Amino acid sequence: MMQGSTIIFYLLAAMSLVFGLLSVTTRQIFRAAIYLLFTLIGIAGLYFWMDYQFIAAVQVVVYVGGIVVLILFSIFLTNQAGEKLPRGKTVRKIFSALAVFCAFALVISQVFEADLTETSGSPAPTVARIGKKMLDTGQGGYALPFEVISILLLAAMVGCIVIALKTKL
Amino acid sequence: MPSFSHIALLIHEWLSSHLNSTLTLTIEMVIAGVAVISLFAVLGLVLVIMERKVSAWMQIRLGPNRVGPRGMLQSLADTLKLLVKEGLTPSGADKFLFNLAPFIAMIIAMLLMAPIAFAKDFQLWDLNIGILYVSALSSVTVISILMAGWSSNNKFSLMGAMRSGAQIVSYELSAGLSALTIIVFTGSLQVSDIIRSQANGWWIFKGHIPALIAFITFIIAVTAETNRAPFDLAEAESELTAGFHTEYSGMKFALFFLAEYVNVFIACAIAATLFLGGWMPFHVGTWHAFNHVMDYIPSSIWFFGKTFFLIFIIMWFRWTFPRLRIDQLLNLEWKYLLPITMVNLLLTTAIVILGWHF
Amino acid sequence: MGLIKYIKNVWSALRSLAIGMRRTLYYFTHHKEIITQQYPENRDTLNLPERFKGEVVMPHNEQNEHRCTGCTACELACPNGTIKVITKFDVNPDGKKKKAIDKLVYHLELCTMCNLCIEACPSDAIKMAQTFEHSVYDRSQLTKILNNPGSKIMDGVE
Ligand code: SF4
Ligand code: SF4
Repeated sequence: MMQGSTIIFYLLAAMSLVFGLLSVTTRQIFRAAIYLLFTLIGIAGLYFWMDYQFIAAVQVVVYVGGIVVLILFSIFLTNQAGEKLPRGKTVRKIFSALAVFCAFALVISQVFEADLTETSGSPAPTVARIGKKMLDTGQGGYALPFEVISILLLAAMVGCIVIALKTKL
Repeated sequence: MPSFSHIALLIHEWLSSHLNSTLTLTIEMVIAGVAVISLFAVLGLVLVIMERKVSAWMQIRLGPNRVGPRGMLQSLADTLKLLVKEGLTPSGADKFLFNLAPFIAMIIAMLLMAPIAFAKDFQLWDLNIGILYVSALSSVTVISILMAGWSSNNKFSLMGAMRSGAQIVSYELSAGLSALTIIVFTGSLQVSDIIRSQANGWWIFKGHIPALIAFITFIIAVTAETNRAPFDLAEAESELTAGFHTEYSGMKFALFFLAEYVNVFIACAIAATLFLGGWMPFHVGTWHAFNHVMDYIPSSIWFFGKTFFLIFIIMWFRWTFPRLRIDQLLNLEWKYLLPITMVNLLLTTAIVILGWHF
Repeated sequence: MGLIKYIKNVWSALRSLAIGMRRTLYYFTHHKEIITQQYPENRDTLNLPERFKGEVVMPHNEQNEHRCTGCTACELACPNGTIKVITKFDVNPDGKKKKAIDKLVYHLELCTMCNLCIEACPSDAIKMAQTFEHSVYDRSQLTKILNNPGSKIMDGVE
């Protein structure tokens, strides 16, 4: 008999895959965005299933609360409700299918090549531990990347403010 | 004295002595689900009648007074009416999304219930990112509103959805930052840790002025996030007819309505947890005798008392202030609340590092 | 200084909000005076405000006389065509013909109680009544004739 937890895993995986497929095949752009949302929620669910709660919550905040909302907003501002997108050209379809297949093959080959071993006994990744690692300047710490990303975000923010300024500098 | 945690433990023991572990877990999940749904129904009924009575009293009226003693069964009658009404779907609408949106709103409200501690040791899921989980999921609420607004294929709905999108996305920031103030004090995101840290006094008293400022900004921000007056631009009866739920009727409308009230309850429960100690009785530092007396009041009464007090405050806002304009709304967030909460957070961090708090 | 102004701004905003909230709290805690009325119960003692407008009527005196000259000013003033004045010609005792009303038709279902007809009337022949229980089972009952049957114009009204 299958374990309950395995069933949940397959359900979540199926949800991500099916909605991912739907999101590229639907011809209504708003629905595509909503299907994408469900895919991302499925992935967040997988993180929860693995007990990586922090990553799951961040997945929800960034992708669902941020990126999908952004996509939805741009659809709101540029599209008419109820309109369908034109059908894609056959050549384009073939090439995109090919590209997807290549990427899939690449990932699968890597997965099979790497020898993944089951880790056990590693302490739960609590927020406190993640935070300490983030600001750790020693061996295996992430202080430098963390600061670099902060500077990148700061630059992006300054750029936004300059663009949004009414009176040009 | 029987408490909630007592009952939960009894049920768990009885089930596990009769069934195997998987079945026990499944049945417990079902029980939790049913409990959450019935809590929703009760909350809907109670909050609607409370809102109508509070509004009436504030406007020197009597409020509902026909159904039941002093009109107390009015919301039951309303529910019955909404149940038997036809749920129309406009012909130009995107039917699938149109029918999906209210359920998304509802499901998110349900998921938000998980980390709330209703009484001592009585919590569905004490996950270690409690508060982050709540703020993450509540950012998904906006999706259901955008979905409803778009799929109705109606300009009022679309406008309401756009406004509410801008509003929720921006007020999320200051709500999160205000909550972070308390997180800095406690050093944990876990709800049970936050409550335990208030055993010798609630944060609103222990945390000096920064906690007070954070409390005020948090209340303002969650009022905006739950789309309630004076921030109800998304619905704005007088301008947009009803905003994103213009086209909804019957039970689908009721779901949106219920989700709004449940979200208010959740926001207030979180505020009570962060600032007023959740189920923790009113304790003062080392006055053990006093603390002991306070402990005689059951923890669930403390929790619901605080939550309903905050709900009353939010209703009080609604029936006092006029609605903001969209530009005033965004000004308030970006020019006032956000800078204030940021400075406040810095101040809090300084206090905690210097060890000035109790 | 910008910062001082900013803080003053926040302070005055909070203060004025607190004043508003104090007022509503006062009402909330002093739940004695109720400004609404319990309508069906107090039907007999109902106390309508002076300016309440319910429907247009034409008062008559004891001799079944009214003051309407049939000038149609009210008909012209009405924005929704609620009033229709149907005139006839009376013959005076001294043989002269005189214009008078036959019927003053009033469609209650169209009326918005805007009071414009009353203000337009040069001879104060119509006024607003305070009745409000207007519901009927058939719409045609809402079309009323304001002058009583057999009524005449009052003496001295031109
Ligand atoms: S009150 Fe206004 S709407 Fe009614 S009859 Fe007079 S002018 Fe017409
Ligand atoms: S009611 Fe007044 S305004 Fe109307 S026709 Fe008679 S006199 Fe003229």
